[in-house]
Parts: sequence; structure tokens; C-alpha cells
Amino acid sequence: MRSETGFDPALYDRFPTKEPRPEGEEEELRRIWCKPKGWEYLTVVNNNYVGIYYLGTAFLFFLMAGVLALLMRAQLAAPMLEILPQATYNQVFTMHGTVMMFLFAVPAVEAAGVLLLPQMLAARDLPFPRLSAYAFWAYAVGGLCFFASIFVGLAPDGGWFMYPPLTSKAYSPGINTDFWLLGIGFIEISAIAGAIEIIVGVLRTRAPGMSLDKMPIFAWAMLVFAVMIVIAFPSIILGTLLLEIERAFNWPFFDAARGGDPLLWQHLFWFFGHPEVYIIFLPAAGMMSMIVATVAKTELVGYRLIVLAMLATGFISFGVWAHHMFTTGMPPMTTGFFSAASMAVSLPAGLQVFSWIATLAIGQRSFNAPGLFVVGSIVIFVTGGLTGVMVAMVPFDWQAHDSYFIVAHLHYVLIGGMVFPLFAAFYYWMPMVSRRALSERLAKWVFALMFAGMNIAFLPMHLAGLQGMPRRVYTYLPGQGFELPNLVSTIGAFMLGLGVLLFLIDLARNFRLAPGGGNAGNVYDGATLEWLPSELYSARSIPVVRSREPLRDDPRLAGDVAKGRHFLPGSATGHRETIVTSPLLAEPQYLQIMPGPSAWPFAAAVFTAGFFLALTVQAYSFAWVSAILAVVSILRWLWETDRPVRDEEVDIGAGIMVPTYVTGPASHGWWTMVILLVVMAMIFIMALFSLAFLASNQPAFWAPPPSMAAGLPIYFLYGAAFLAALAARPLLKRDARWPVGLFFASAFAAGSALWLDWTGWSAAGLAPQASGQGAVIAALQALQAFAVGTGLLMAAYCAARVARGLMTQPRSNTVDLAMLFLCYTAAQGLTGALFGRAIGMT
Amino acid sequence: MRRAGGLIGLTSMMLTACSPPAIDSGTADPDAIARGKAAAYRLGCGACHAMPGIDWPQGRVGPPLAGFGDRALIAGELPNRPAPLARFVRDAPALIPGTTMPAIAMSERDARDIAAWLSSLHDE
Amino acid sequence: MTSRTEPLAAGGWPPPVLDPAGPFAESVTTLAWVLLLGGGAVLVIVLAMLGIALFGPPRLKTRLGGERAIWALGFAFPAVVLTGLLIWGLTLTSSLSATRVAGDAMRVKIIGEMWWWRVHYQDADGREMLRDANELHIPVGRPVLLELEAADVIHSFWVPRLGGKMDMIPGRTNRLLIQADAPGIYKGQCAEYCGGPHALMGFIVVAHSPADFARWRASRLPESAGAGRGLALFLSSGCAACHTIRGTPANGLAGPDLTHVGSRRTLGAGILPNNPGTMAGWIADSQAIKPGNRMPAYHQFSGDELRAVSDYLVTLK
Repeated sequence: MRSETGFDPALYDRFPTKEPRPEGEEEELRRIWCKPKGWEYLTVVNNNYVGIYYLGTAFLFFLMAGVLALLMRAQLAAPMLEILPQATYNQVFTMHGTVMMFLFAVPAVEAAGVLLLPQMLAARDLPFPRLSAYAFWAYAVGGLCFFASIFVGLAPDGGWFMYPPLTSKAYSPGINTDFWLLGIGFIEISAIAGAIEIIVGVLRTRAPGMSLDKMPIFAWAMLVFAVMIVIAFPSIILGTLLLEIERAFNWPFFDAARGGDPLLWQHLFWFFGHPEVYIIFLPAAGMMSMIVATVAKTELVGYRLIVLAMLATGFISFGVWAHHMFTTGMPPMTTGFFSAASMAVSLPAGLQVFSWIATLAIGQRSFNAPGLFVVGSIVIFVTGGLTGVMVAMVPFDWQAHDSYFIVAHLHYVLIGGMVFPLFAAFYYWMPMVSRRALSERLAKWVFALMFAGMNIAFLPMHLAGLQGMPRRVYTYLPGQGFELPNLVSTIGAFMLGLGVLLFLIDLARNFRLAPGGGNAGNVYDGATLEWLPSELYSARSIPVVRSREPLRDDPRLAGDVAKGRHFLPGSATGHRETIVTSPLLAEPQYLQIMPGPSAWPFAAAVFTAGFFLALTVQAYSFAWVSAILAVVSILRWLWETDRPVRDEEVDIGAGIMVPTYVTGPASHGWWTMVILLVVMAMIFIMALFSLAFLASNQPAFWAPPPSMAAGLPIYFLYGAAFLAALAARPLLKRDARWPVGLFFASAFAAGSALWLDWTGWSAAGLAPQASGQGAVIAALQALQAFAVGTGLLMAAYCAARVARGLMTQPRSNTVDLAMLFLCYTAAQGLTGALFGRAIGMT
Repeated sequence: MRRAGGLIGLTSMMLTACSPPAIDSGTADPDAIARGKAAAYRLGCGACHAMPGIDWPQGRVGPPLAGFGDRALIAGELPNRPAPLARFVRDAPALIPGTTMPAIAMSERDARDIAAWLSSLHDE
Repeated sequence: MTSRTEPLAAGGWPPPVLDPAGPFAESVTTLAWVLLLGGGAVLVIVLAMLGIALFGPPRLKTRLGGERAIWALGFAFPAVVLTGLLIWGLTLTSSLSATRVAGDAMRVKIIGEMWWWRVHYQDADGREMLRDANELHIPVGRPVLLELEAADVIHSFWVPRLGGKMDMIPGRTNRLLIQADAPGIYKGQCAEYCGGPHALMGFIVVAHSPADFARWRASRLPESAGAGRGLALFLSSGCAACHTIRGTPANGLAGPDLTHVGSRRTLGAGILPNNPGTMAGWIADSQAIKPGNRMPAYHQFSGDELRAVSDYLVTLK
């Protein structure tokens, strides 16, 4: 067996250990991972709590957006009703789509990841528990305030896709649109924080021996999901930022009369928006793959195919976005490419569906609650997939686009591809978090009502679409044949709602949270590690994983783990900790000491939300105070991390010694910073794309940029900034003051370069309000200014740590991360300076 | 002019109140009533009048027509009988010169059907 | 093919998308049928496989339960079908694109506005000949090239029985070919959400036989301005600030051109029949009919003034 890190795999044979464990070891674990009391429920960071909060909040949004859907169906039950007046309806349909996509679907699967992944990978927790808490609270506070806008009639009303110019200041002067732009932009940041956490968690905190090919399929799904978020979400963050700037400062990114282009928004939105569908679908498909195997009491057929299919889906989904734009007048060559990609993306879906069917075929048939939802999901999802192929055909889409046919299609895909799998998952994993499982008897009713209701609600919409009923209409004229399909749809929608209501009753009767042990146990006989007996610290000891379904292949494993016969049977350092393993083969590399509960992430989230909300209602002084308090809270929370450690090396079981402090590319902090920089780079790349897009679509508005040669001092300064930051790491060995000085030097060099760059553009006569070109160039400079400012803050933070003697030597993660960030800042600035001059160069 | 019309209306209302109006909607042909409702929708009477059973439009320019069959007078001036009603809906200014309601081109049959439908509307 | 003459009652059956009235809609309808029936067949196959997996005989179950079956059913089969469809789709797309314009096509520029349509008829060189609103008259059997633009936000032009839809985007001109092969009235509606009363932004296309079309065309040339009390009230009440009636001082541009408003089939952008009664109702209180539209309610007219204005307008044939 080869090794990835030099770890000798023969050491795994020491487990399970035979010696008796010392007294009190388990009690110490319990003490360290203690339950919260009273107000401490707000400051918990453990994934068992944050995951449940997160999932519960997402489900709450599902219910609220579902109520909005029922209101809409009531309004559309007959022609020209006035249950919801026009303006209210327009807000309600906008909120329904927005809340379902941004506040339910993505957070729900992300929450499932937070809740399930540590257990499934047998990690004690996710690698950044405080980041999870921050992401959750930011989402919960921001999301609830956003939703509340509908109660005061200030909810956005431009559709969940927010196309300008309808959403520009001229046609949407109220703050409704700002609620959307700031609220959603903010919640996306929380989604990205969660995604970074999940990538590092899946790749670095798996149980020893769980190589990638032994990883549960759900973890694969969450990995692809998180990578897709990191690549796709920056596009919508940039989009919302640009549109908000256009509204607030009149920079014409999307105003065709001044060299902007409304289609730029559509590209930015759908570059995020279509991958979004797969971002929602893949984790749900991962759940399906887990559940289907357990329900059929067999091994998943086609594990490798499914992994391949997920990777392919992730890849292809970035080439399909413009199929939402087939009617915008794109040339046939372009639509042809996107049509082909849209069809290709159905192939990996086909592989997954037939893998599930194959698994059901070789297994035993059982129609328990998860089994019913799995089968229902396959039927609904396949139907939606087939109509998806239809609308991928460009000429057919010219008829179907923006009609009720699409409403039917997307609900089949999303309900079959995400909602039904999620309900299967609720039933399946409920015994893991609750003291009682849900009722099997009631589940049959819930399923029957939801399945029948779903089809009765959405099947007739195909017909309404073919009859010419456009979507997003608050009413329709009689006499067009829309009456019957709409009435039937309304009846179906209320059946679906009744099914969900029954589920809520079941939840109220049987769901009793059991975080500190005492859960209902392995009711469905699952074979993966989340079914190990567990408490707040997950499993008592972290097992050596030797197969894909360890509980089935080694019936004694659960007992051995509970008796502490595997890795890390107690606490090695007296702190919360987990084993960090290598990305491919999961060989133990070091012990990560984890932060415990803290009020600072909560405070940071509340102040961040306060900042965005205050911006929305234009309370600027309150906004700036909130922003400063948010930054202070984040710095305060970081302040407690990266401390000098007591024991350089500890025994993690059976005499295997690993370090407790690792820096450089092997450390999880380094990985996280690299992923964060990928996010920033994607935002910047999308901004560069915007510049190139406007240059090719609005050439008449293009002014010649400053010359390449005139930029030489700028390039030189950015080069110096890069080298200064790079030199900080080796020089830390000499003196902790060296990096601080170099970081300041790097930030000042980058700042000077930025200043020179901007003065060059102003001298060339470019103004942000005058043209699309000026607006995008100024936006690029603003992004760069944000990076330089953050770099400066990092330098100051390092200086403060040195002054307090908190800087570890000769190597320090804090210095590593600041170094990475400042090097990136210099590279980003240089790229922007060169690119801006190259576009439209004469 | 307007006051005079009101006066006439008031007087005739008092007069008709003495002898109960002949209610002939019971004898009206149900097909005619249905056709009348369809014609009223087709011609867009809702642009000015809210009418029971027609959700849209529900204009606010003219009076709502719910319970029209129970009213004594048409536009406060004419006895509410099917024959004058049919003439009125087709060419209101010819019967009541100062009225806002314009003449609307429709067949005689449409006019009779609409009159039958309006006469069939009773307060609940 | 059914013929429909009532402007506002299309019936909805057969569904307009499956009931084409011209060549540009027809080929899409063929595709739609193939997709609907083929998709239905594939759904039946998948359900049958699912049924076998759950209830089938062990022999079939075993064959279904391996990677070979997954590749064959989940990849190879759809790949072949999709490749075929893709080739057909690409060919059809380029044949329907308005990039290749037939020489004898009639040209009309249509501009979407919140929440109605400007219609500018053009001659072969693209010069404007006639202005109208919310209604397009075309001869049967002849392709019509529409140049689609937007004045404010994005709209989308869609008359399902004559062709697919095409967005109207500020700053761009999109082209769409439509054609009707039988005389009749074809209903359309804005398909891109444009705020407010987007749901009530309708449109109709009136297709005439060539002789009727020539007659219609000729009726448009003399500008029948009319005179009298109605026009005087129209001019003195501010209507002319937004509306044009050629041959009179009324030359406002914000709202629809009313030069031939009396001959239109509908009022309020394809939503109301057009007669003196609906005209009066619209003028006095259009907000009750189409909430949010840009025309204020004209409460200041007395009854007979309102009648005079509406009677005048419906005479503008």
C-alpha cells in the first residue's frame, strides 16, 4: 500500500486496541464538549446544534415560501380574482422564488452538510466551528429581516431574477429592490463561508483510512456542491454589487443608453443561476444515493459512476447558463453550443437515476418512509428531466420560454430533485438527531398527499403553458382556456400543502432533539459512520476506515469505537480537537485544536446583518457603526486562535504521535485561505468579463484606455508588493517584527500602485457615471481598494499580535495567511491594470 | 336639468312603489339570461359597471348592477321593464338625453338578452 | 386549423402552441409533438424499469442491477436520442432565424412599452409609413419581419400561433419572422415580466386576405381627424399631451397613437372590446380596469362630455 504523506499504513493494524482505557477519559470528553445552558444556546458552535438550527431555519423558510405559493394559487384559481392585488402579487411571487432558492434550498443542503458531515466522516466537528456559527447567524438574522419586508409591503417585486432595467432606479425607485440586492448579496457571503468550511472538512478531516474512494457518496456530493458554490456564487455577488452601485451612485453598468447593457446582468445572474440548480440537486442526489442503498439493504451499485456523474455535472453545469437566454436574440452558433451543453448535462443525471434503479433492483423492496420518498423522487425528477430536454431544444424553447410550461418544468426538477430527497432525508436521518423516529404510518399519508398534490398542481401547468399562459402574471383574462388547468393546479397545491402540514404534526409529536446521546439509533440499519453511537463529540473514538460501508463490513466496529479502541479515545490536549488527515488517502497528519463556544461569531453576524440592513434603509451612520463593530467582533474572535501550543507532539492513540501545530501548505488554514482567494479571484474575473462584454457589445461608447507603457510604474509597484509579502515568511525566523514591516510595505506599495492606476484613468477622461466602461473600470478599482484595505488591516493585526507577544515563531499561520492574501492582492492589481488597458487598446 | 330628472325619478319611484312591479324574470328564458351575461362580458359593460358573476373588469364609473332586477327605475328615470331596458342598454342617450352612458352598437337580440339577464339579478 | 374571429375569446383549445397558423410556428409544433410523445415514451420506459426493479422477476432484476445496464440505459440510450434531437434542433434553429430574411417580407417595427406596444409599419427601405398601437395587421401567406425594440424595460413579443417569442431589450433590435396562412385574429401577450400590470399587456395580430389587406391599407391613408365638441374636449382636457391624432394639433408621444383608434379591435392593449361604452369607461377610470397603467383616471368630465369624447374617438376609423 502506497503512502501519501510518509505515514506507514501498517500502523492502522494496531486498531482496535486491546488495552483497557483509563478511567474518566470519556467523562473528560463530555466535559470538554459540554452541553450549553441558558444563553449559551446562542454562543454554541458545535455542529450538532448549529446544524439543527440551520436546518430548522431553512425549513421555516420552506414553510413560509410555501404559504406564499398557496396565496398565489388562491389568486390564480379563477380569472381576474382580487385576493392578492397586483402589487402584492408581484411581491409575493418574487419572494416565493427568492426565498425558496436562496433562503431554503441552498441553506437546507448546506445545513444538512454541517449536521451530517462530521458524523459521517467521524470528525469531532467541522474544522471551523465558529465560522459555521457565523454563517448560520448571518443567514438567520439577515434572512428573517429580509422576509419581514413583505409584511410592510417593502418586499422586492422585480422577480427572483431581478432583471434590469426593471430593477434600476428609474423603474423601481423604492427600497424594495435594495432589500433584495443587499439581503441576497449578504446571504450569499454566508453560503460561501459554509462552502469553504465544507471543502476543507471533507478533504481534511476524514477518519483515518477513509481514502477518497471509500468516502460516503454524500460527502462527494457536498464536495462538488461546495466547489461549485465557490465558483458560481461570486458571479451573483458581483452582479448584486454592480446593480446596487448603479442604483445608489448612478454608474451605468446595465444602462444601454450610456454604454452599459441589460444583458450583462443576465449573463452574471445565470452564470450563477444555472449551476445553482445543480448546486441544489447534487447534495440531494447524494442523499438519495445514501438512502437508496440502505433502504434496499444492499451496496450502492455504480459508486464510481455516480462520482463520475457528479463531477461531470459540476463541470458541464458551468456551460449551460445561456439556455435561460435563448429568446434574447443570440446568434444560432451561440444558442447551439448552450443547447448541446444543456442536453449533455442530462447524461450524468441519467447515470445517477439508473444507478438508483439498479440498486433497487438488486436489493430488497421496502416501502418505508424514506423508500417511498426515494421512489417518488425518481418519478418526479425524471419527468422534469424530460421536459428539461424539451426546453433545451432552442426552437421549442422559443415557445415554452417564460410560459407556465417552464413553471411546471422547474417545479418537477426542483421538487423531484431536491424537496422529495430532502423529505426522504428527514425521515432517514431523524433517528440520528431525535430520541424518536417519525411515524411510519403517518408518513404514508404525507407521501401520498405530497406526491398526488405535486402532480395535480404542476402537470396541468404544462398545458397552460402550451395554451399561451405567460408566467409571473397576477391574473389572466377569462376565455382563453386557462380556467380549468389553473383551478386544478390550485387544488393540487393545497393537497401538497396538506401533506406538509401532516408532516409538521408528525414533527411536533415525535421530534425530540437528542444532541448529547440517547438518539433513536440506527433504525434503518445504515452502514456509514454517522450511525455510530455518538454524543456531542461525535463518536467516542475515531475509527480506522477500511471499506466504504464500515458498519456492514465490520459488525464489531460500533462496539469498539464506543469503547475507545480507535483513534483519539480521549482528549490529547485537554481542548476540543480533531484529527486532520491528508486529502487523498486520509492519513493522519496532525491534531487540530478547535475553538470552543464564543459570543463573538454571533455578535459579528448580528452586526454584519445590521450593516446590510442599515444600508438598505439608508441609515448610513448606523451602517458604518455596525460595520466597525462587525470587524471588531471578527478580529476579537480570531484573536483567541493561533496561540502557541503546550505540547508540540501528542499521542492520538496506540502510540501514534502527531504534531499539534502545522503551518504551510499542509495546514487547514492555508487551504482555507487559498479557497477564499479563489472566491475573490472569481469575483474579479467576473468583473473583467463584464469589461470585455461591454467592450464587445457597446463599442461606440469605448474610450481609448491609457497606454500600456504608461503603466510601467504600476506594474513595478505591484511586483514589489508581491515580493515584499513573499519575503515575510522566511524572515519570521529572525524576528517577528520583520513580517509586520514587510506587510505594511507591501500594502503601501499596492495602495500606491492603485492610486497611480486610478489617476491614469482619470487623466484619460474616464468617469464612472459617464459610461459603462468608466463604471466597470471604477468597479475594478473599488474591488482592488477593498483588497488593499483588507491587506492593510491584516498587517495591523499582525503588528498587534507581535506587540502582545502572541506571534508564534519561527513559523506562524497568521503570517502565512497574511502573506498569501497580500501576494494575491498584488497579483490581482497587476492583472486588473494590464487587462483594463488591453481592452479596447488601439 | 339634473335636479329635474331626480325629481321625476323620485315621483315615479313613489308611484311605482304603490303597485308592485310585475316580476317577469321567472318567466324569462334561462338561455336568454346566459346569453345576456356572455354578451355583457363580450361587449365590455364591466368597463363601467361592476356586475355579479363577472370578475373583471369591475368599473367604477357607472353604478354597480347587483340586484338590478329589484330596482324600480332604470337610471332613476325609466320604469324597469325588459322592453325599455333593452332599448336603454342599446341606445341610452335616445331615452335619457343627459345620460353618461353612450349608445353601444349591438344586435337587438343581444340587447334583449342583456335586459333579460339584468332583470334576473336579485339581491340575495 | 381553426379560425377564430373573436378578439378576446380564443378558447384555449386546441392549445395555441400546438395549433400553428403559419410556417414559423408549424415546424416548432412538429418538434413539440415529437418531444411530447417521445418524452412520454421515455417516461414510460423509465417507469417500467423502476417497476421491474421493484416488482419484476429476479432474472430481469439481476440484468438491471449492474453497471452495464446503467451505462446502456442511463448514458448510451439518451446519448443517441439526444444527438439526433440536437442535430434536428440546430438545423431548425438556423432555418427559423430571422438572420436570413426573405425578400418580400413586410417589415414592421414594434416597440414594447410599459404596458402596451407601439407598431410602426415600414416600407421596403425601412422608412416609417404608418403608426398604430397594440394591433398588427398583416396579409396572409407573406412573411413579416418584426424589428423588436423596447422603450423602457425588457418585454417579450409572443403570438404563439404565428411563431416563437423574442425578447425586446433596451439598446438592441431583435428580429423575428412570423406568418399567418389563414385570415383571422391571433392573440399575443408580453412574455417577459415587466412589472405592474404585466399580466394585462396583450396584443392582437389581424391577418387579412390580400384583397382585404389592400383595403385596410387604403383606409389608413386619409387621415380622418373629424371635428366638433369631442375633439375640442380632447384637446382642452390635456389628452393631447400624451396622444397623437394626426390631422389635429394633438401630437403627444407618451401614449398610443389614436389616429385610427376607432378601428382597433381592442382597448387597453388587447384586453377590452372597443366600443363607445368601453371607451368611456377606460377614459373615466382606466385604473379600475388595468391597475397601474400609465393613464390617469379622468374624473373631471361630466357625463355628456365623457360621452362626447368617447363617441368622437370611436369614429376615428
